[in-house]
Amino acid sequence: MENLILKLKEEIIEVLNLEDVKPADIDENAPLFGEGLGLDSIDALELIVLMEKNYGIKLKDPAQGKEIFKSVRFLAEYIAENRTK
Amino acid sequence: MQLYIKNHINLSFQNSAEITEFYRSLEVDYPKFFKMDGLSKLGFVASEVILAGDSRLRGNDSAGREDVAVIFFNRSSSLEIDTQYQATIQQNDNYFPSPALFVYTLPNVAAGEIAIRNKFLGETAFYITENFDPQQIFQTTQNTFKHNDLTFALVAWLENFGNIFEVKMFLVTKDVQDLGFTPENLLM
Repeated sequence: MENLILKLKEEIIEVLNLEDVKPADIDENAPLFGEGLGLDSIDALELIVLMEKNYGIKLKDPAQGKEIFKSVRFLAEYIAENRTK
Repeated sequence: MQLYIKNHINLSFQNSAEITEFYRSLEVDYPKFFKMDGLSKLGFVASEVILAGDSRLRGNDSAGREDVAVIFFNRSSSLEIDTQYQATIQQNDNYFPSPALFVYTLPNVAAGEIAIRNKFLGETAFYITENFDPQQIFQTTQNTFKHNDLTFALVAWLENFGNIFEVKMFLVTKDVQDLGFTPENLLM
């Protein structure tokens, strides 16, 4: 799980162009949205694309995102349980 | 109406990384810069330089500047980012449209980014022309001042396609300055 969390942090930094952020700067237990990284709705859409592209997970219900994107750890746990690639 | 050039800047870069390097040299803290496409980055750094000398030009949270317009021109519209976006939907078996690229697939987003950053609430416009045409830029800017109660306008030729990153930006004002806003002076 810790390896997946680190990989996710690196992917998030890359796809969201968080140039000045290092993986260690992201608290895996902190909310992804609303504070901290300052992500916006476009970033949320980009994370949904990331999940499908890299892990084969297609979110059918957008409301799921609210739960899954609570934190990097939540996201990692969801991916670990649902990934198809 | 007699208009004047208060400040101007010409910049050119070989690639987006060079713009980022230039951005860092400005010591500006605006993380959204890193999410912008090349066209918006180009306009952003030029505007930061041209507005740096006078913070009174910028609006703030309590009072935006309705008397400042952003009027841009170029040849290639947003074709560079359009092409990059197209690449994300080109193949049926690798079809992942990028929202982050899609939001920049209009050139006027570059003008909007600067308006948002500086709380400029006047007109924002982006005109596509065949070539850099000083007469047209002059006339369009004159008309914009004529039909709006403007104090300033940020006027620019802002071109990005492939490895071309060029910007000529002018801060145009009604206030008397040494340099007149004329088609000839746009060639500086």
